Amino acid sequence: MVEELLIRNGVVYDPINGVNGEKKDICIRDGKVVEEVRNPKVIDAEGRVVMPGGVDIHAHIAGGKVNAGRLFRPEDGRKGREAKTKVCRAQSGYSVPNTFATGYRYAKMGYTFVMEAAMPPLAARHTHEEIVDIPILDNAALPLIDNNWMTMEYVKSGDTDLLAAYIAWMVKATKGYGVKVVNPGGTEAWAWAKNCDLNDAVPYFDVTPAEIVKGLAEATEKFEMPHSIHVHGNMLGHPGNYEVTTSTYDLVKGIKPYRDRPTMHATHTQFHSYGGTTWADFESKAGAIADYVNKNEHVSIDLGSVILGDTTTMTADGPMEYSLYQITGRKWTNHDVELETGSGITPFLYSGKVSVHTIQWAIGQELALLIKDPWKLALTTDHPNAGPFIGYPIIISMLMSKRRRDESAEDMHSAIYKRAELPSIDREYDLNEIAIITRGMAAKTLGLHEHGKGHLGVGADGDVAIYDLSPEEREAGKIQKAFLNTKYTIKGGEVVVKDGEVVAAPAGKTYFVTPECDEKLTEEMMTHLKDKFEHYYSVTFNNYPVQDAYVPNPYEIKAPWRS
Amino acid sequence: MQTIRLKLKEEITSGIAKIPVEVDSLTPDKLFGKNEAEIKAVKVWWGNKEENTGDLFDVSVEGEAASADEVKIVMEGDLSRVKHIGDGMKAGEIEALGDVDMHCGAMMQGGRVTVKGNADCWAGREMRGGELIIEGDAGDNLCAMYRGEMTGMTGGKVTVGGDAGECVGQYMAGGEILIKGNAGILTGLNMKGGKITIEGDAIMPGADMTGGEITVKGKVRDMMPSFKFVETATIEGEEYKKYLGDLAMMEKRAKGVLYVK
Repeated sequence: MVEELLIRNGVVYDPINGVNGEKKDICIRDGKVVEEVRNPKVIDAEGRVVMPGGVDIHAHIAGGKVNAGRLFRPEDGRKGREAKTKVCRAQSGYSVPNTFATGYRYAKMGYTFVMEAAMPPLAARHTHEEIVDIPILDNAALPLIDNNWMTMEYVKSGDTDLLAAYIAWMVKATKGYGVKVVNPGGTEAWAWAKNCDLNDAVPYFDVTPAEIVKGLAEATEKFEMPHSIHVHGNMLGHPGNYEVTTSTYDLVKGIKPYRDRPTMHATHTQFHSYGGTTWADFESKAGAIADYVNKNEHVSIDLGSVILGDTTTMTADGPMEYSLYQITGRKWTNHDVELETGSGITPFLYSGKVSVHTIQWAIGQELALLIKDPWKLALTTDHPNAGPFIGYPIIISMLMSKRRRDESAEDMHSAIYKRAELPSIDREYDLNEIAIITRGMAAKTLGLHEHGKGHLGVGADGDVAIYDLSPEEREAGKIQKAFLNTKYTIKGGEVVVKDGEVVAAPAGKTYFVTPECDEKLTEEMMTHLKDKFEHYYSVTFNNYPVQDAYVPNPYEIKAPWRS
Repeated sequence: MQTIRLKLKEEITSGIAKIPVEVDSLTPDKLFGKNEAEIKAVKVWWGNKEENTGDLFDVSVEGEAASADEVKIVMEGDLSRVKHIGDGMKAGEIEALGDVDMHCGAMMQGGRVTVKGNADCWAGREMRGGELIIEGDAGDNLCAMYRGEMTGMTGGKVTVGGDAGECVGQYMAGGEILIKGNAGILTGLNMKGGKITIEGDAIMPGADMTGGEITVKGKVRDMMPSFKFVETATIEGEEYKKYLGDLAMMEKRAKGVLYVK
């Protein structure tokens, strides 16, 4: 039976197709946007804001460390508890919600795609198992390929082609989407109780983080990869790190991307935009970072904007979590992933009464307001590191209302007036810009717009968010409320949220990339790789790759070798 | 004065599984102003099912109350699988005639709960005010925090007629606990404030404490080596040694006071 849906008279914001607040009908047949429909079910969106389904470019929602975070924070599981309904499974958690709550809450905010931002390759199966348990959302995951021994050895020997072959194998073996970099070299150094700055040599391997980033960017661009390298740089969260950040951006400047996208996506940039030398003279350098991004085309960012309150920080950047634990004295856990990466977790409270947290809070928003072209940035909170994703509507309302920012600043530490720029910025986002940073930019940067995500052109997926919001609304509280619970969320042509309640919870798809590498090259790389498995890995080569059964709703994107 | 009698029907927890009943919806402040029929319709959890109070308990109401303070709930029957008695209660009185299950008086803010028997683990968990009297023994984690939280009891008064289990007052920040018998291992673990008195013996009291006061009138077994002797002090005519600790939490944070004989 043909399923048809007509969304009538909505005010549509579809920035990828240049639709900026036009009154327009959206027709969907069999889950896809079409020109017209004959006998549809009709949704009246009269006067309401209509956008494509949201696309989150970076969040930690599945896998080993998210689950470890849940286990290690039973007090977080006390929050957000909701009993099961006819449609929904039981929910719990705030900063580390269970898989079900993750799907429902994103869907209620109008999101339909979320990128799991850090998948340790060895834990890829676990990650995919959790992704399967996240209802409604389409997902993909980025495997960590930067602190791997194989990577560092190929960077050292300068064999970019072999590195590319290794990337191809790894992305395929993990059913991953691209190449994630987290504190390159530093996480390996952490296994030696050290950390690495951009130009420090990694213990034993004798390569620098700068060489790793450059090597991975060059190797990634050997393929027609939909997404560039996705980089969490060195010295995250350290005062004065902004110069490391811009130096990292410089590394990939000359590399030609396969299509019109940046060669580096720099993630949670808020944590990388710090001035000062200690926490005492800590200050915002968002201006310097924004200036760089404004002048260059080879780098895109996401915000990592802070949500005040309690959260659970978790990252593959093990040494950084240890520094954080030393500041707070709260509980901390650390994990080593053999030959590949590591991770750490510790709870954290962002308080508006603390000068450093206040400045961090300001930086995330400053970046959004100082970078002129919204196509260069995506809204994230690096969930849950700077705050849980459920706080996105707060950030949206701040960006759209200078008044709300000013009122909030008044209640916060006075450092915001001395060591941050936010109070002096007048810019306010409009709904079109919000649509860009919450769906358009992420879809384009991930290359998903070519696969039906993040827009409403003919052929796109029938993923639509209808907000109970008039385009003229300026009141921040009402904007926040509207973006937290949609009037309707439609996923693949099916109504999944109605009036802020989840009414259907279909399974989502898993997107993964298959880089296609020359056989001879693969064969040569394989001799090195098999040696690693024989001598060092605790699992065998044959047991390593994720089987197809772990991805029950696959969406494959092929990435041929660039001639 | 109004008395609400709730007698658990025998068949409810008589099965092999002894499925627990959770009664945090049955506090004086929540039942105040309701007549018998309305009380019978209040929902309580029985295992994973929500049931009417009237289906699980024989309910009778006597007298009138002008406020929740004048409401007294008397719970009868086999209460050993009845959890959350007086959980979150704000005013009035509850009397439980027998042994009760976990979380009795948890999150309590006011009023009084009297248990005429033993209370299982987590009694008085995160209690903020009011009074909890356990005439028999208390289980583990009396007046402690929920797993993972950093604050336990912050106010109110708890009296245990018998012994108490492990980790009494963990992360306690305020209020008073009196244990007339012995306490298990690690009383006042991570304690930050408030006062605990143990008339009997204790094992390793005060570990990781940074504030508050613990007095042990009986013997202390395995005294923490990380406490510093300060002076001798006289309490109620008896001589005690006063210690400060726990130095394992760094000297400047070691503000806990421990009195032992």
